[in-house]
Amino acid sequence: MRFDSANADRITAIALLCLGAAMTWGGYVMDRLEIRHIHPASIPGLVPMILGVAMMICAVALAVSADQTERAEGDDAGSWPHFAFTAIWSCIFAIGLVSRLPFVVAAAIYVAGFTAWFLLPRAETQSARLKSGAWILVFAVVTAVSVSALFRYGFLVRLP
Amino acid sequence: MEALQNFAVALMALATPMGLFHVAWATLLGIFVGSLPGLTATMGVALLTTLTYTMDRDSAILVLICMYVGAIYGGSRSAILLNIPGTPASAATSLDGYPLAKRGEAGYAMALATAGSAFGTLVGILLLVLLAPPLAAIAFDFGSFEFFWLAVFGVVISGQLTGGVSPLKGYIAGLLGLMVAMIGSEGIHAHVRFNLGFDQLNGGIALIPAMVGAFGFAEVLTVMYRREAQMVDRKKSREDRMLPRLVDLARYKFTIIRSGVIGTLVGIIPGVGEDIGAWASYAAARRTSAERDSFGHGSKEGLTAAETGNSAVVPGALIPALTLAVPGSAPAAVLIAALFLHGIRPGPMIMFEQPTFIYSIAAMLVLATIAIAIYGLSLTRLFILVLRIPREYLMPVVFTLCVIGPYALTQRVFDIWIMVVFGLIGFVLRQMNYPMAPLVLGIILGSLLDKSLRRGLTLTDGDLTPFFTRPISALFVIIIVLSILAGLNPVRRAMARLNLPGSRKDET
Repeated sequence: MRFDSANADRITAIALLCLGAAMTWGGYVMDRLEIRHIHPASIPGLVPMILGVAMMICAVALAVSADQTERAEGDDAGSWPHFAFTAIWSCIFAIGLVSRLPFVVAAAIYVAGFTAWFLLPRAETQSARLKSGAWILVFAVVTAVSVSALFRYGFLVRLP
Repeated sequence: MEALQNFAVALMALATPMGLFHVAWATLLGIFVGSLPGLTATMGVALLTTLTYTMDRDSAILVLICMYVGAIYGGSRSAILLNIPGTPASAATSLDGYPLAKRGEAGYAMALATAGSAFGTLVGILLLVLLAPPLAAIAFDFGSFEFFWLAVFGVVISGQLTGGVSPLKGYIAGLLGLMVAMIGSEGIHAHVRFNLGFDQLNGGIALIPAMVGAFGFAEVLTVMYRREAQMVDRKKSREDRMLPRLVDLARYKFTIIRSGVIGTLVGIIPGVGEDIGAWASYAAARRTSAERDSFGHGSKEGLTAAETGNSAVVPGALIPALTLAVPGSAPAAVLIAALFLHGIRPGPMIMFEQPTFIYSIAAMLVLATIAIAIYGLSLTRLFILVLRIPREYLMPVVFTLCVIGPYALTQRVFDIWIMVVFGLIGFVLRQMNYPMAPLVLGIILGSLLDKSLRRGLTLTDGDLTPFFTRPISALFVIIIVLSILAGLNPVRRAMARLNLPGSRKDET
């Protein structure tokens, strides 16, 4: 799958068109504050309406020009499994673990899990895996404690 | 003479042991951040802002400026050794830096990059001191009409110049930023807009969590998504050395001055940034060089021009940031947020409220420049070691800071969610070649655009005429219309056929 392609542009154009329409509609139905006798030209929905219309125009232009846009040759040089793990594991940490566990524990779990996912499979023998696992644990604990201590005692932040 | 005196006083005030300590660690950290592919100056400044909450005003700004200067300079390391720009600002550097490194002259390429960066920043500082006061004076003539067009101008020009082959994507990114700015309580009647049912959005989306997401988390995702880069085999040739030859610097003196001026002027344009400064300087150097055929194949002049140009953008970007509160680049946008956090109100009044502040900024930039020169010429081996840190160790640490940094400001878990959302959106937009600078500029300028339009219309009882007839407004309108026209495909094709110098292909 390519992020930068004519199809991707067309799908984005549809999403942007919907966003623009929603913004325009939201601005149109927004409270005009007549009860406060404000000047009609200063209604809060004015600029959102303009931005919504501008976005719809850009969305149409994006869809129309999708086939003519110059793009870089070749495949996307990225790794989808790496991206998927990083995104999911980072979201689990930021949204799931933080505020449910003490920050230092959540951070240690996150760092250990992240590093282990990428580095443990590279160790070829059992002893190398054990050595690598021990090193990853030490690294995770030191990182979590250092970052937590810096913010807790250095910047007086009450950690989540 | 008075300016020189103010500058000397500011320099003396900063040159305390604690001030120099801040310069030393923040610049070094900045160089490390900039040299690691994927970590940008904007991310460095945004993350470091969260660490300066408890510092006094001058120390906090000094630390952030050192990070900014260091990171822009640091990007040249990986551009030369890995052929991957550490920051987008160093993309032009890799064109000639990497071939030089492959020829066994990596050390000399880094030395030239150091000299170019230092001289570029110094040229920019000189122009900052000369141009900021008159620009602030001109800004006093700005009313709601002019500020409205200034905001539109910023978003359009930024979209146009950073959108690359597709300015439309730049405009869309700018519009998205403006839309984000519409969330929360608006600035005239305090009416809450588009809070989507979350009370936490009543105050709008805070810039720091959004920036840490768009530049921090998005970069963690991008780095892990990309294939790992291979460092060039550093075979050392006899010509390689760690100090730039004076004869080379003398030969390229006009290139250095021209690139410094171009970089600074590009920096003044809202939301354009260091990468465009580097490309514009590189293109100008190639056009006028006697050795233009060697550009792209290890030209020392090309490398010097690119590095001088991107570093000169830093002081240039601070000129509108300080005098108009309109950032010249994405890191400058974060700096504006940091200035507000520390009780400084950038804008036309700054020359009246804090007339010596510009000189303090110039002094901070000079100290950062001295630091990059010292580090650049003495710590080459250390920087190479930093480039060898596996991304699997570095990225979880960066993301942990991305989580705790935005939280530290307001102690709201909601800001962590904002960071995550902006990170995911930022990653997708980046992969689809949407530039981030107009998005950031839109978030910053949205409130100004909104308030200025509605205030202007209220003043004229709904009449649009003054928006087009006042002299400065009319000038903005002409530039905006011409910019949009120049971005249209038929016009671009016609310009390319006529081989006009403004056509993009010619520049890059």
